[in-house]
Amino acid sequence: METAAALSLARTERPRWALRAGGGALAVAGAVFLLVAVARAGAVGMLLSQLALLAPGWGGLLQALLGVAAAVRPAEAVALAPPARWLVAGALAWLAGFLLLALSAPRAEAREEPPSAAARAPLYPPLAAWRDFSPATFAAYAFAILGAEVTLVVLQTLLASGSRGLGLAAPAAFVLSLLSAALLAFGCGALGAARARRLAAPEATIAVLYLGTPLPLLLTVLPAFPRAALWVGYRMREVTYLAELIGRPELAYWLTFTLLVLALALGILSGFVAGGSGALDLKSRFELFVANRHVQVFRPRLLLGALAVLLLGIVPPLLVLAVLRAADAAVERTRIRALGMKDPMLAAAAQRAWAERAQSATAMMTALSVGGAGVGVMALIIVLSVMSGFEADLQAKILGTNAHVVVLKYSDNGSMPEYAEVVKKVEGTRGVVGVTPFIFGQVMIASEGNVDGTILKGIDPRSAGKVTDLPKNVLPGGSIDWLSDPSAIPVRTPPRSAPADPADDAVVVRKSSGPPPLLPGILLGRELAASLRVLVGDRVTVISPLGGGMGPSGPVPRARAFRVAGIFYTGMYEYDSKFAYVSLAEAQTFLDIKGATGVEMKVADVDDARRVAGSVLQTLDGYPYRTKDWGEMNRNLFSALRLEKLVMGIILTIIVIVAAGLIVATVTMLVLEKRKEIAVLKALGVPDSGVVKVFLAEGLQIGLAGGLLGLLSGLAWCLFIEKVGLRLDPQVYYIHQLPVRVEPLQTALVVVIAVLVSYLASVFPALRAARVEPVEGLKAE
Amino acid sequence: MALVEIRDVFKSYWLHGKRIDVLSGVSLDVERGELVSLVGASGTGKSTFLHVLGTLDAPVAGTLRFDGVNVFDLNDAQMARFRNRTIGFVFQSHYLLPEFTAQENVAMPALVQRVDRAVALGQAGQLLERVGLGNRLEHRPGELSGGEAQRVALARALILRPSLLLADEPTGNLDPATGEGIHQLLREVNRDLGVTMVVVTHNETLAASLPRRLRLAKGQVHPA
Repeated sequence: METAAALSLARTERPRWALRAGGGALAVAGAVFLLVAVARAGAVGMLLSQLALLAPGWGGLLQALLGVAAAVRPAEAVALAPPARWLVAGALAWLAGFLLLALSAPRAEAREEPPSAAARAPLYPPLAAWRDFSPATFAAYAFAILGAEVTLVVLQTLLASGSRGLGLAAPAAFVLSLLSAALLAFGCGALGAARARRLAAPEATIAVLYLGTPLPLLLTVLPAFPRAALWVGYRMREVTYLAELIGRPELAYWLTFTLLVLALALGILSGFVAGGSGALDLKSRFELFVANRHVQVFRPRLLLGALAVLLLGIVPPLLVLAVLRAADAAVERTRIRALGMKDPMLAAAAQRAWAERAQSATAMMTALSVGGAGVGVMALIIVLSVMSGFEADLQAKILGTNAHVVVLKYSDNGSMPEYAEVVKKVEGTRGVVGVTPFIFGQVMIASEGNVDGTILKGIDPRSAGKVTDLPKNVLPGGSIDWLSDPSAIPVRTPPRSAPADPADDAVVVRKSSGPPPLLPGILLGRELAASLRVLVGDRVTVISPLGGGMGPSGPVPRARAFRVAGIFYTGMYEYDSKFAYVSLAEAQTFLDIKGATGVEMKVADVDDARRVAGSVLQTLDGYPYRTKDWGEMNRNLFSALRLEKLVMGIILTIIVIVAAGLIVATVTMLVLEKRKEIAVLKALGVPDSGVVKVFLAEGLQIGLAGGLLGLLSGLAWCLFIEKVGLRLDPQVYYIHQLPVRVEPLQTALVVVIAVLVSYLASVFPALRAARVEPVEGLKAE
Repeated sequence: MALVEIRDVFKSYWLHGKRIDVLSGVSLDVERGELVSLVGASGTGKSTFLHVLGTLDAPVAGTLRFDGVNVFDLNDAQMARFRNRTIGFVFQSHYLLPEFTAQENVAMPALVQRVDRAVALGQAGQLLERVGLGNRLEHRPGELSGGEAQRVALARALILRPSLLLADEPTGNLDPATGEGIHQLLREVNRDLGVTMVVVTHNETLAASLPRRLRLAKGQVHPA
């Protein structure tokens, strides 16, 4: 009987497979023919690009747009003339192949079954209450993601744009609008999920893919189309400006998009938990009570142990633990043995109590997850703080040496003869604290021992201190005031060590013979002075390649002797080895510049420099003047630094994600371990959302404990680095010591994100817990 | 009107693709205050029937009216509330939550309802006193004997004064003497508190001693 059935099955199967193979081959052949046709027409690239457009689903729309464009401007459309024979053959083969494939598709045979006894009985309602797509929920989710994106862009533009908007600083505007957008995504997601009483994953996926991705996608590809970029970019300059601050704008777009999707997911989840079972229920005292008994995260032993591991590494606390355990065990064994001498039963009871102290696997996993989350948070805090420290240190040094804003003038040799008026005008501008003129030139400096190329800056010694930290940076033994009063510079007589050769001796004799000549003063950086081997009072020669007039063989360099009036130290290698300062008057004559190169100023709020620069330019009536702020002058450096920080943050976030994986595993294990308890809780009347809450609370507690431990240990490490310090090679890193700066907002953000991620990580196992059927759990004995 | 009206309840399992009909059109009325025993051979679906009655298991078809309300029409949260307030369960195994003390276990249904913890624990203490476990309040389930654990489970089922107590072989895991104590307790609860009870049992003497006796066979309930 069975063999006969198998035979008949084989008989029907064989032709079907033949049909399938034939149809498939025919369809492939058709495709090849079509490809040949396309290749003959030379349009493979175009075809591929069209197919690529199809992939994200928006291709249809884009293609329609392209079609419209082609219709409007037929000249740009490519004339296609594929060979007809190949085309027809290919299309026919393709169609025939698919026809055969369709014919070979197995069809379910209608089974004749007698109606069951339950045929007329009323169906159990939940069996019928299944709906797989809810347009209202889709609309809510779509509005959440699209609305959030649009809100973000529009709000930021409104808040940050100077003329019509509020004129907030760009970062503040971004934070405000991101918060509003995230809130919108969260709220709409929560509403949608609460209304649908389920998570509605299909709706969420479609909404995010189809309505969420186009905007960041558009912003990403925008730079490739210059005309569109110009048109859109003008309207969204506040958005693009901020995105460009970190160096790679597309990274910023997608990161922001990810944040919004995260907010949406959190909203959906919260909506489901709060309202998923029909009634809004935010009280969780009972659920927390149960969760606290399941995982006892906030035990002093666990917390202290994890903190010790985070602070000291794994091995030392493990050694201490092993020693303690061994000592405990030895004491206990001795006690049990003594008990056994009196009464074996007492010893057996004590033995049992001792054995019961062993921790369960889940408790171990809990401790590990707490440690994992802690490691992630700690690493993020330390690295981000060090990088912030770098940035802050660099900024302080750059701003200490350079002005916040400079005013320059478009003229043939870059000079600004009327600088005094400019200074007066600029001084009145709001937000400007100090103004001073300067001259800028590139020269060589020669001492008796060495030569070096430097930047010579002419400054006004009286007002320079109002703009830069130069007067403070001059090391003891020198003074910035001596630039204007060179007679005060103590003349240094070189040591009369045994003269090696008569020429040297002659110089010394010549110098000591008469009074030293009065030379103008010059300030040198510490590294520059060291490389020239000069001290305060020594004489150096400054050589300018230009300005000496024409000689028989071309331009003659101009040279002039200066006396070192002081040595300054900024701490930034770049500046200490490249800068030399003279008085404005000396620079004017030496570099042959009338007036000054420009005017530099200090502003009250460093982060506001860009805006102040704008208003300064307004008071000067624009052209021929132009302004540059410190961010613009050092743009490459800072954007590289920010990008580095961002990428580092992303890489380290992977640690947090690994920790989240640990949490998923732990909570899943908990759910499996507690199946029976879940079933009992349900029998006692805990609704599904209550069960979800219990396990969410468990994951959240693990994340919270890990986050707090990571925060503590991260701050401790930062303090350690700050107080004890790590030496750096200044020639490579600009600075001598690893700087640390703990930014409260950034640190708080790390902890909050870690806690949110662990909350999200426990979602999946918590939902699984809610799906445990009471009967199933009660059977598993 | 009967407290419980069961009409045309069907329940089937699919095992290796074959359908096994456990309940095929069960209809039954249980009056207020009744003490009903349900007997039947192993595997006839007594427990399944009890689970369906307590909304722990989903039937294929049928209606269950409780005080005139069709319970199967309720959503998950309402059904959970119904289980919490109106039904008390006692299983063959005590199914106490191991992380909580006896007192907390008994108080659990009240805590689910968000009764104040001190009040709930007080009631639980009194109830444990009544089932003779006044000295076991702080013990974990692992530290109780089988009979004691089952008494705690009974106290837990009674703390919210349910209208219907469903007991699934409550003495199946106990020795006859201890079991007799539990039976005594069940009868007392029925007499003193007026709680309606359906007791599934293998114990013929217990079944014979209860006022109404039912037998489940071939997916149908008959008077026995």
